[in-house]
Amino acid sequence: MSNRQVAMVIDLNKCIGCQTCTSACKSLWTDEEGQEYMLWNNVETKPGPGYPKNWEEDGGGWKNGTLVKGKLPQKGNHGEEIPLNHEAVYFEGTEQRLQQTKEMGYGANWDEDTSSGVYPNNYHFYLPRLCNHCTKPACLEACPVKAIYKREQDGIVLVDQDKCRGLRQCNRACPYDKVYFNFVTRKSQKCIFCFPRVEQGVPPACARQCPGRLRFVGFMEDEGGPIDLLVNKWKVALPLHPEYGTVPNVFYVPPMLPNTFDENGNFSDDPRIPMDYLRYLFGEGVEAALQTMQTEMEKKQRREESELMDLLIAKDWKAMFNIPDVQVVPPEGAPSQETQPL
Amino acid sequence: MTGVSRRGFLRGASAAAGGLFALQYSNAQAQTSNDVNYDSVEDLFRQKWSWDKVVHGTHGTNCTGNCAFNVYVKNGVVWREEQQGGYQASTEDTPDYGPRGCQKGLRHHKYMYGPQRILYPMKRVGERGEGKWERITWEQATSEIADKFIDAATEYGVDAISCGIGTQMVVKRSGFASVMRFGTATGIQVPESFAGVGDLPVGVQATLGQNIIGDAMGAVFKARTILIWMVNPAVTRIPDAHFFWEAKYNGSKVIAISPEFTPTAMHANRWVNPHAGTDTALCMSMIHTILTDGTYKPDYIKEQTDLPFLIRKDNGKFLRGTDMANVPDVENAENLFYIWDTVANAAAPAAGTGKNYSGGHGFGKEGWLDMGETDPALEGSFTVATKDGDVEVTPVFAKLKERCENEYTPEMTAEITGVNPDVVRTIAREFAEAEPAMIFSGYAACKWRHGDLLQRAMLMLLSITGNLGVEGGNLQITNLGESGGVAAYVFQELGPVVRVASGSQLDYEHGNMKVLNEEVYGKELADEIDSHYEEAISKNWIPRHARVPWRMAFFTGENGANWRASGKRWRKEALGNIGTIVAVSTDMGTTQLYADYVLPVAHHYERIDFITEPRTPYVQALVEAVPPLGECVDDWTVWFRVTKAIQEKAIERGIAPIDDNFYGQVIQRDLTKVHDYFTHRGTIMTTKDCLQLLMDNTPGLPKVSFDELAAVGKMRVDGTETTVYSEKSPYNPSPTYNVENKAAYPTLTGRQQYYIDHDWFLKFDETLPAHRAPLRIEGYPLQMMMGHARHGIHSMWRDDSLMVALQRGEPDIYVSVEDAEERGVTDGELIKVFNTAGHFIAQAHVSSSMPPGMTFMYHGWDPQMFIGQQNFGAVTSTAGLVKPTILVGDYGHLKYSAISWTNNLTQKDFTMDFEKYVEEPEARAG
Repeated sequence: MSNRQVAMVIDLNKCIGCQTCTSACKSLWTDEEGQEYMLWNNVETKPGPGYPKNWEEDGGGWKNGTLVKGKLPQKGNHGEEIPLNHEAVYFEGTEQRLQQTKEMGYGANWDEDTSSGVYPNNYHFYLPRLCNHCTKPACLEACPVKAIYKREQDGIVLVDQDKCRGLRQCNRACPYDKVYFNFVTRKSQKCIFCFPRVEQGVPPACARQCPGRLRFVGFMEDEGGPIDLLVNKWKVALPLHPEYGTVPNVFYVPPMLPNTFDENGNFSDDPRIPMDYLRYLFGEGVEAALQTMQTEMEKKQRREESELMDLLIAKDWKAMFNIPDVQVVPPEGAPSQETQPL
Repeated sequence: MTGVSRRGFLRGASAAAGGLFALQYSNAQAQTSNDVNYDSVEDLFRQKWSWDKVVHGTHGTNCTGNCAFNVYVKNGVVWREEQQGGYQASTEDTPDYGPRGCQKGLRHHKYMYGPQRILYPMKRVGERGEGKWERITWEQATSEIADKFIDAATEYGVDAISCGIGTQMVVKRSGFASVMRFGTATGIQVPESFAGVGDLPVGVQATLGQNIIGDAMGAVFKARTILIWMVNPAVTRIPDAHFFWEAKYNGSKVIAISPEFTPTAMHANRWVNPHAGTDTALCMSMIHTILTDGTYKPDYIKEQTDLPFLIRKDNGKFLRGTDMANVPDVENAENLFYIWDTVANAAAPAAGTGKNYSGGHGFGKEGWLDMGETDPALEGSFTVATKDGDVEVTPVFAKLKERCENEYTPEMTAEITGVNPDVVRTIAREFAEAEPAMIFSGYAACKWRHGDLLQRAMLMLLSITGNLGVEGGNLQITNLGESGGVAAYVFQELGPVVRVASGSQLDYEHGNMKVLNEEVYGKELADEIDSHYEEAISKNWIPRHARVPWRMAFFTGENGANWRASGKRWRKEALGNIGTIVAVSTDMGTTQLYADYVLPVAHHYERIDFITEPRTPYVQALVEAVPPLGECVDDWTVWFRVTKAIQEKAIERGIAPIDDNFYGQVIQRDLTKVHDYFTHRGTIMTTKDCLQLLMDNTPGLPKVSFDELAAVGKMRVDGTETTVYSEKSPYNPSPTYNVENKAAYPTLTGRQQYYIDHDWFLKFDETLPAHRAPLRIEGYPLQMMMGHARHGIHSMWRDDSLMVALQRGEPDIYVSVEDAEERGVTDGELIKVFNTAGHFIAQAHVSSSMPPGMTFMYHGWDPQMFIGQQNFGAVTSTAGLVKPTILVGDYGHLKYSAISWTNNLTQKDFTMDFEKYVEEPEARAG
């Protein structure tokens, strides 16, 4: 078997915060009892506390080659899907206000469009998040029973539901708070990068079902593929919080918001999002990445060619997915369960 | 256990237990990492991604998305859905349409089994709105409804009954056609849901004589400058929003215009933030810049528009053939207009004018705009000998320039809009320089009382830069599919005798909105509106809508009590006084809760139908993936059963034909034949029969059977002939035809008409587009804007548990940091929003994306979801704000039609205030 690493590039300049990826993931993998609070894929407004609340303050990851034991994410910091009292209001006539049957308190998207800074020079953007299927997964290292493994054939990180004892060390170790504890099955669960789909040439649900066409999927090793071009050649796709040390395999094209207004209300040349904040999220490479994006976009404004812009435009939707035997039209019949993994 | 047998075991167990995580491995299975068989562990997940059957379908809601879905059925229920993908592009040089879809569509497998579903016919047993029902049979329901229908029709006339078509009805072709056929056969009022929801582009109608001029979405990629204006596509056009950002990457300038920092502004090259309701001033100052710079396109203007037409300076009217000392011998000298020909240095008839106004489409009028050897003046003042003596005349263009110079320099408009003059100049120049430039708009302009003036100004901006009727240009508002098939079903044997009613007029009259106007806006405005309204009725410009009391109302696929402007008053005055209310619906909501009878309708995956809304060049099928729950049936079958019962009862009761005064023409409505009419005398007996008839008669559709369409889910359409005229390009709306063929527009002048010289337009100084300050309510400082929601399509999916959880668990309203601080309100607290019309309570969502002085709330939240059961409709005091000039009915293309020229039910011109909510005991009880 080859040692290959599957990866994703998420272009934040196309993300509209519609939560279609969230919805696609949830209906496929986390619609069971015990999973109500889980969104293996979520989209949060940044800057903002996100999902779970203030996850960036929970610690974890690596520091100087040593695993950092982070805080245990608290369930109440996620919010969850709560049924409404439809029957009582609409069919039994016992209640009048249609509402959740218990108070939500917080939610995965609580701060949707809650902007930072001062109007009209405020700023915010959407950040989709899933498991980074890291090259140095802290969760795997932290598991005392070795229930977490990284697949050789594609680098997807999985929690073995047989072996997991629910010790929750992975919950603490993941600096992205992307491992969830199922309080019903008492197992940790997380994004599986839709490996059953990827094995059949169908991209992960969050990527294939994204109406914004902003997620590229491919292998790090595929020279000339979209991941290689965006991450290595053009260097416009960057990992989230690289300082966490886990070496993520999900990358982001950083956001370019319209420039600010000057004190007279005229267009200024100043970027709307403070560069410090972008460095905090995406590391030192972000300024150069944004400069490259700007330069290439200006070429297109002059009607010149730009490989980078054409790549990001993705005129042919299917070309965003560079996995073996890729098919963007899912199979009509159920995939054969006898099919061997790649 | 071998891998194979284990997999076999799992498959069976999964079906029985219904899920992956219900399965537990025994601890004996645990192995060390060295010899673990990951394949078998991973099979749990592989097993989960499996299904028994795939059906192609979609959601027949009115979101304009038209997203082709695969619907996956497992164990007899819909397990999940996923976009089909596999779309082509409109043309090779634009991005393709894949994959489409949104989070609501992906939740439908849950929503269709949700606790809001209506499963059986129900009859109210408690008070209205109490939520107490008895389950009855279809037979009992239709039989009782039929008796009440006949009682109302015979006692008061058929127009005492209405059948409202909600947004669930307008895109599904057989659903829509069935209601329209019911209306044609009976003569009942069918309130339109275009102007009735504040969506009718009357400013476009006034300028072009037609109002549907949008393109397929791929056109966005072709524009080099795009103004995104009065729309928020990042939220409201989720499947298509990518075209904007892809255009940006392709070098287009994307300029978002909105007072608040919208999700669309986030991704634009530039964001411009005029104060709410001042957009016309901004647009006029952009026009000023272009006129001053001299970057307009004179050749285009002279041929395609009325801008060179001569205006009499003495009375502000067009110079006409009938003004002349010697009236020219033409078909209609009243409609003979003049230009000043600089070649002959004399007034000359404008090409093609002087005929009776014939309306209709531009097709067949090629060459009318050909100016021959003449060259019209755009500026200057001239003297013409008329029967009144010498009269000074000047071209419309000169008047426009004068108006801009006197009122709309960027410096002047900065006072109104708050937009820096250099910003105006920058974007005006980027617009003028681009080839082509587009204004992408939505329905928001229609929701302002003077939104028609904004649309007229937007078209003028496009026109003077030559961007109307070219690929990648145009004013994009909406695009509707060909409806020839619907006409074939609806008008068969009977002709077009369906009483389509204006929603705003129904509400004005039945809601007694004159009283509300007085209470909120004062007697002067209330009287001005009402006197013009009555004058328009006396002049026969508009029909009286409340001739008789409202005795019976069907609400089909509609939650009208949810969204209406002045909803609190409407529910009391209009809805509350209806004799019998019948809700025909998939899901419960406020309207259904107030009904006397509720009839259950099959949901999107339980029925067949098709949709032709050409945002994409595809026709799209709804397919029955699973049988309907309970006793639900599709819409066509509902009306099949209702008409059958009415006919049977009418025969049984010996009901004679009812004389119906249909706009002056007496029609006999024979209730003993209603079902025969509905079924085309027994030839259309199933929904599929109806669909096939519709498909066969709809131009542009592939010539296939419905089953063939259903088998693939979607099929490419190569151009339909009304909205997108040419097969050679899927982007060209009908104005392109006029431009390319010098064809007359269906306006009085045969041109893109920017000057309207009707007396009422002169009286209100609206001959040319002009800014009018939005209405405010004295003592209430904050404007409240609303818009289509991200997490719902109107009221559908708005109460889905995941959609609610992806918000704040209850209705929220965005307020500015400054306004919140001033009122001692912090983020997440409940606030009471109030004005003279009423109040509602919602959670404050404090964000610096909001300008001080303005709030924003996404619409669609049902009144039931609020404390006290009052939603935004309690403060939206605008339902009576009829605009007099839109009542005009004797001016060529300005003639009453409920689907093209009638007042919008507007929703913007009001203000409110808010304060921290202190729990009131009675509100809790309520």
